[in-house]
Amino acid sequence: MVEALKTAIAERLADLEMVIGWEMGFDALHATPLFIREEGDLHRLTLGPLAVHNLATYLPGLKGKKVGVVVKGCDSRSVIQLANEGLIKREDITVFGLCCDGVISHRKLREALPADLGFVEQATWHSDRLQAVVAGHAVEVRLQDILADKCISCRYPNALAADVLVGAARTPAPQPVPCQDAFDALPQAEKLAFWEATMARCIRCYACRNACPLCVCRDHCIATTRDPLWLGQENSPAENFMFQMIHVLHLAGRCTECGECERSCPVDIPLLLLRRSMNRVTEELFDYQAGTTPGQTPPLLTFQVEEARINERGW
Amino acid sequence: MRIGVFICHCGSNIAGTVDVRAVAQAAKGFADVVYASDTMYACSEPGQEGIIQAVREHNLDGVVVASCTPRMHEPTFRRTVERAGLNRYCFEMANIREHVSWIGKDTERNTIKATELVRMAVEKLRRNRPLTPKRFDVTKRVLVVGGGVAGIQAALDCAEGGQEVVLVEREQSIGGKMAKLDKTFPTIDCSSCVLGPKMVDVAQHPKITLHTMAEVESVSGYVGNFQVTIRKKARFVDWEKCTGCGLCMEKCPSRKAPDPFNEYLCTAPTINIPFPQAIPKKAAINPETCIMKQKGKCGLCAKICPVKCIDFDQQDELVTVDVGAIVVATGYDLFDWHKYPQYGQGRYPDVITSLQYERLLSASGPTGGHIKRPSDGKEPKTVVFIQCVGSRDRSVDRPYCSGFCCMYTAKQAILTKDHIPDSQSYVFYMDIRSPGKAYDEFTRRAMEEYGAQYVRGRVAMIYPKGDQLIVRGADTLAGTQVEVAADLVVLAVGVEAARGAAVLGEKLRVVPDQYGFFVESHPKLRPVETNTAGVFLAGACQGPKDIPASVAQGSAAAAKVLALLVKDQLESDPQVSRVTPARCVGCGKCVQTCPFGAIKLVEDRFGNPKAEVVETVCQGCGICTVTCPQGAIQLEHFTDNQILAEVQALCPPRIRVNYAS
Ligand SMILES: Cc1cc2nc3c(=O)[nH]c(=O)nc-3n(C[C@H](O)[C@H](O)[C@H](O)COP(=O)(O)OP(=O)(O)OC[C@H]3O[C@@H](n4cnc5c(N)ncnc54)[C@H](O)[C@@H]3O)c2cc1C
Ligand code: SF4
Ligand code: SF4
Ligand code: SF4
Ligand code: SF4
Repeated sequence: MVEALKTAIAERLADLEMVIGWEMGFDALHATPLFIREEGDLHRLTLGPLAVHNLATYLPGLKGKKVGVVVKGCDSRSVIQLANEGLIKREDITVFGLCCDGVISHRKLREALPADLGFVEQATWHSDRLQAVVAGHAVEVRLQDILADKCISCRYPNALAADVLVGAARTPAPQPVPCQDAFDALPQAEKLAFWEATMARCIRCYACRNACPLCVCRDHCIATTRDPLWLGQENSPAENFMFQMIHVLHLAGRCTECGECERSCPVDIPLLLLRRSMNRVTEELFDYQAGTTPGQTPPLLTFQVEEARINERGW
Repeated sequence: MRIGVFICHCGSNIAGTVDVRAVAQAAKGFADVVYASDTMYACSEPGQEGIIQAVREHNLDGVVVASCTPRMHEPTFRRTVERAGLNRYCFEMANIREHVSWIGKDTERNTIKATELVRMAVEKLRRNRPLTPKRFDVTKRVLVVGGGVAGIQAALDCAEGGQEVVLVEREQSIGGKMAKLDKTFPTIDCSSCVLGPKMVDVAQHPKITLHTMAEVESVSGYVGNFQVTIRKKARFVDWEKCTGCGLCMEKCPSRKAPDPFNEYLCTAPTINIPFPQAIPKKAAINPETCIMKQKGKCGLCAKICPVKCIDFDQQDELVTVDVGAIVVATGYDLFDWHKYPQYGQGRYPDVITSLQYERLLSASGPTGGHIKRPSDGKEPKTVVFIQCVGSRDRSVDRPYCSGFCCMYTAKQAILTKDHIPDSQSYVFYMDIRSPGKAYDEFTRRAMEEYGAQYVRGRVAMIYPKGDQLIVRGADTLAGTQVEVAADLVVLAVGVEAARGAAVLGEKLRVVPDQYGFFVESHPKLRPVETNTAGVFLAGACQGPKDIPASVAQGSAAAAKVLALLVKDQLESDPQVSRVTPARCVGCGKCVQTCPFGAIKLVEDRFGNPKAEVVETVCQGCGICTVTCPQGAIQLEHFTDNQILAEVQALCPPRIRVNYAS
């Protein structure tokens, strides 16, 4: 798959300022974004279960430039959503789409290994399992056990609206996410108690916001402005939770569930619990899944006198 | 800021269940409040003088009045503070009557709630800033929607008052329901004889432009400056040329077109003029039944037409007009009586509606004014009238009284006797409601002089027997069952809002009530105004109304329009949205959501896209402000900060724990 992708990129690189992909990072278990500007960079390109980053996040910042981007199924939805909102020009972007078998969750991997990730000396992939040497011991982990939650529930493993699609198309087999079901079943008071406790951990680093491909306000984010003053800078569970509520609502009808927010959180806050609930509501109310249909208007970015599924007057 | 707070007793309306002195006392402790007192009637002359004096004495620059709903008196108090030399937006109102004293009896808790509402008002006021309205030119033209008797009256009065009028009617002719009626109560004068001349006046008045077979497509703008697009449906006849000679109607071979004017009692030629007095008297083709339109051949009408005005390729046409005011007079339609199982749900041809009966009585109707029942054309000798079919009945969600059915049923009973002297009428009724001038005498006449048998009770069922219909019901006064063998049954079907009223209401921003009738601005004091400035109501679209009341309201609406359009300029509302360009990232989300198209994207001097609000178009709805993620667009007088301050005043942040273990 990676060879086919390299060929496809090589063919188009001349017309593009750069192509964003992944390369191996600082250790055997981390990939990192790669900015391919010339053919000489191509050999560094890598794919596979470590290619976790949603590279579409870079696109709004590169608006106006002709760039290529390598996307998994989930990432491709971000590209479509950004284009549908006019935040990028679709014609400026060349989308190299993958048919994705899923990526890992580093948190789950960490929990599966006997020692900290830093002690991994060597790691090799054998189809659906990882063999690693950790502090001198050989360990084997099944990919299935460390798959990211979003890959378990993935409905779109094959990149949508790709200009080039590599790999063999996979039939989606979405499963419910166990932690979400467990959380949804909790009584309201316990949910609140959970968030109060969890949000006490948040250090308001805004990594979740910065990683989100659809958070485009950047310097103007309402979380850090004085006028209007929505949030104080005080780091307390209430304010931290308020920030999350704002993030979730600003992403209503926009969030593609790429999971970058949760992945980037340094203190492992399960942020997708909120995103998934909100996405379910938007799907129920508006029959809408963000970033699945090019050219579609997001439900909250239009004015409609009457919504098909909201009965506002009973006669 | 130096804020003064005034807590109104409203006689005992508020003071009865709110300790107004305690609220005033508490207000003295709020930030920036330098003066607080209670007052008997804040809106009265001495009440307002008291406010003005306090402003002067205590050098106030902001005023809070805690009293009734701002719907009524916010304008009053804004004028008061203006007279005291303040900007009218340096004023806030707390509603402690509708929101407090009228809905709770517990004085202690009411007092707490009133105090909290005052605290919110103070916190908001501390963040208000003076706003100044702009002035703009008024378009001196009025749109009247609906050409029933109410719309006709409004159009004529406005035109007589010197204003240009555009009258839009959905049907082919104006006249509305009244044009279908035979005679009218309580004088039994011929309906088309009194309405006809008015319709002709509309056609001939130089100031009135009439569009029939037309509907309002879209409306933008605001009081004094509406832009209206009207869709004129294709009629396949060039009305500039059509003389209304009617030759085409005679020759048209397709004569089975539905005839709505005759309430579907008969069919009509496909090319048709609905009735002899129609205004405009022009023919139109029903494309559904036209052989040429359906099969591509025929064209007989085109051959016969002496002025060659048939145009099979005609399309809908969109016309745009600028108007300063709008009168809505879309009238009513009849309730769908088929919902009732007891009247046969359409199985019996001799069960008809009151409006169909009017057509049978009318000389211009399908039977030439002879009462012949639909099934076999026989003259009925026993006619049963059933009142309140779809009125005053919670089971079909029509709990209201349709107002004029008692009267027209009496009229129809009288006319039945006039037409067929040896006939007998029975009227099943719930109560007789005839409070108008000479109305009760009229219903009495139906009973006493014309021998109509009034039976108080509901009809349980109708079933056929031979060529008659057995009407079985209760006589609740006698406490017995009654059965009448009827030749014809006439249902006094209740009134509901005109078909499509809700859609039109949304275009005009006029809210319908729970039954679809348009809501007036104040049920007593502003009966023809709506809550959208510049849009007025006339006739049965606001609620069931007979002809005298509809005409009176048509004139009343016209008076309001004339009072508005006599002004050359109006003030625009400064409560509009404003963009802070430095914070706008030009994402255009606000542009997409604004229902009024009030926002455009412009480029700043560095070529960055920025949103800009067209102040005169913005209606201050606030949709953009909740759409913009970073709050770059703010509604003046309702900024995020102002609203957040109110929320904080109500729910002060609780003590928070940092890094709980
Ligand atoms: C059987 C019967 C008998 C009656 N007899 C009497 C009587 O004897 N005396 C009396 O005083 N009253 C009588 N009435 C009541 C009378 O019909 C009403 O009072 C009167 O018609 C109300 O006038 P209006 O102009 O408000 O509404 P309407 O007559 O309903 O006129 C409304 C007009 O607006 C048009 N319209 C509706 N929607 C739109 C739209 N979206 N765009 C454009 N045009 C639209 C309609 O086509 C219609 O022409 C009777 C009613 C009935 C049902
Ligand atoms: S990334 Fe995690 S810690 Fe940082 S702001 Fe978001 S939720 Fe808080
Ligand atoms: S909120 Fe999280 S899951 Fe949703 S689009 Fe942003 S980063 Fe992805
Ligand atoms: S939504 Fe906000 S940021 Fe976007 S264009 Fe409008 S004002 Fe600017
Ligand atoms: S408040 Fe905003 S959305 Fe509403 S009319 Fe004004 S500009 Fe448009």
